[in-house]
Amino acid sequence: MSITDRVLLNNHLRHEGLTTVSHDWTMVKAGSLVEKQTLVTIDADATVEDACEVLLKNGITSAPVYDNSKKMYVGMFDYGDLMTYILLLLKKMDVALEDQSMEMRDLIQRTSRSQNVPVKLASDLSGKDPFCTVLEETRLGAVVHDFGTGIHRVAVMDAGGNMKGILSQSSTLDYLMRHLSEYPQLQPVMQKSLQQCGLSNGRVLSVNGDEKVLDALISMSTNSVSSLAVLDDQGVLLGNISMTDIKHIMKNLRTSWLWITCFQLVCKIRLSQGVESGEDQYPVLDVNAKSTFGYTLSKLQATKAHRMWVVNDSGCAVGVVSLTDVFRVLSGLIDTDD
Amino acid sequence: MVLDLDACIESLFQRQLLAESVIKEICEKTKELLMTESNVVHIKAPVTVVGDIHGQFYDLLEIFKIGGYCPDTNYLFLGDYVDRGLYSVETISILTCLKLRYPERVQLVRGNHESRAVTSTYGFYTECMKKYGTSDVWHYFTDLFDYLTLSVVIDNMIFCVHGGLSPSIHTIDQIKVIDRFKEIPHEGPMADLVWSDPDPGREEFAVSPRGAGYTFGSMVVEKFLHENRMDHILRAHQLCMEGFQVLFDDQLSTVWSAPNYCYRCGNLASILEIGVEGERHFNVFEAAPENERPTPAEAQRALFSNGVPAGLFSNGGSNGAGVGGGGPNGSNGAMTFAGGANGSNGGIDATQDAIHYFL
Repeated sequence: MSITDRVLLNNHLRHEGLTTVSHDWTMVKAGSLVEKQTLVTIDADATVEDACEVLLKNGITSAPVYDNSKKMYVGMFDYGDLMTYILLLLKKMDVALEDQSMEMRDLIQRTSRSQNVPVKLASDLSGKDPFCTVLEETRLGAVVHDFGTGIHRVAVMDAGGNMKGILSQSSTLDYLMRHLSEYPQLQPVMQKSLQQCGLSNGRVLSVNGDEKVLDALISMSTNSVSSLAVLDDQGVLLGNISMTDIKHIMKNLRTSWLWITCFQLVCKIRLSQGVESGEDQYPVLDVNAKSTFGYTLSKLQATKAHRMWVVNDSGCAVGVVSLTDVFRVLSGLIDTDD
Repeated sequence: MVLDLDACIESLFQRQLLAESVIKEICEKTKELLMTESNVVHIKAPVTVVGDIHGQFYDLLEIFKIGGYCPDTNYLFLGDYVDRGLYSVETISILTCLKLRYPERVQLVRGNHESRAVTSTYGFYTECMKKYGTSDVWHYFTDLFDYLTLSVVIDNMIFCVHGGLSPSIHTIDQIKVIDRFKEIPHEGPMADLVWSDPDPGREEFAVSPRGAGYTFGSMVVEKFLHENRMDHILRAHQLCMEGFQVLFDDQLSTVWSAPNYCYRCGNLASILEIGVEGERHFNVFEAAPENERPTPAEAQRALFSNGVPAGLFSNGGSNGAGVGGGGPNGSNGAMTFAGGANGSNGGIDATQDAIHYFL
């Protein structure tokens, strides 16, 4: 274990380890993790543009869609769905150069022939993140199993069919890391190397920095992934482009950003994030292939990223650790315990 | 080539760019000088300490106006000379010349922005290309950055670094043995020194939300100062609305020297004046008066007049549309999305930092 891993592990173990009872993390109830959440929902008959505004205003990447006439939730709407919707529309027409700077809203309206498309048609469009529910009593072990298959979030329902909150991969990881000292069963895997966890190499789906953003988004959609590594000609990692980056495109009505290069988009996003927070981030979020699983999770938690690219000593991307991969590994622990 | 440094400095004060061959020569000579410096340079007060500048050239001139000119005032610059502002080239050129001209009076510490990876993303590379037509000047400066020292100690009492502390470094001697003559690595002690941030809410180290370096707390600070028999840590790296911030019971200060950061944050800036007895005074200042500085739109026009084709700029509508403020998409009209540009269409929105004109 490196110096830094030991330091971090000691901090976790020492920090507020007030309880003497050893808990089983797999038995934690889903409901307890969403207790204090304020639920944001989208009306099924709202327009796609209005739904987008809800996501932007609340700083979230997805929200459940509620149908008032049916009195039930009919799906989730997220940026992936929005992107798929836009790509579908754009595929149907050649966008002329002069149209490349129009407002996104106009684009959507024009292409849907001035009939506002209700969001219930757009939700779950990407097909990647279907609406999944669990009960308050559902144990974390089961939820983590779902996360490990690629489901990014689940809706937690009470016995009466009311939604209590949304439990995401990110918030679950955050919870586990904060309470690591209470769950000694998790500590051995934290010290394993990425290689031992089978995460140090894998297929890296990428795009060259000079390719257009729109082409990258189409590629993501075609390959059913939510992000691509942005590489230079030598294969060195320059940054990352993901479905959620569309929020930056929407936020400032920059449809023209669909036609800039991926590297330019990475720069623009970094530039605005740095000014907003007063702190610049490192251009790429990655971990060295020799890092431990625990260090990778700490970095995912701290940066709130959904994936860490794995790089070799030359800075070339050799693999990726996504939140789905993390939960697949954790879910694997449960199976071996049985 | 015979270098007339005084003439170079004079031109730079007039915001005139130096010729590429002159920059090459200056960088070569400065590298020779910096090579002899330790990773920990020891100096004595009085000295004036400057935080992040980020290419805000007119505000650097302001610093000289209020703090005094070289060599009358001793200066310690804590890094982040380039990126984001409109005049990174002029800023780093003048600081390099001043270091070469007055090596004992000017200290330059390396910041996280003095790096190839970061300057490729945050504006300096693009500015060099636009102002010189090739990437040579960027190469000369980024090669020079590899030689900048990592830290300075004032009167054996104040430890000065750009970012902060590292879990791998407990003593000053450990810093001295680092091989610094290279690009800043992604991880490790050298990365930590330029990327870390204090966290008053913690006691220990934690992985940083920036994706490099760590956050460190009160116990880390106390231990470091005690072990190295010093009484203060001085650093930059984080925007401070008041121009400076003092933490951990006056054991650590952050000094920030780019007022109205990116020409829109509205923050104050400061320089820290340390007297012979070790007394510390934050001299707070505002952005240089508007009428002495061109607006981003004027800077953009200036670039156009150099023959840079308008189509090079990705924001399509820049062909004469939206002069100064307002998006290039001409979206000065009704705002349809609430989450947009700080509610005001007239002002520069979140993605229209001045440097975007270069992208």
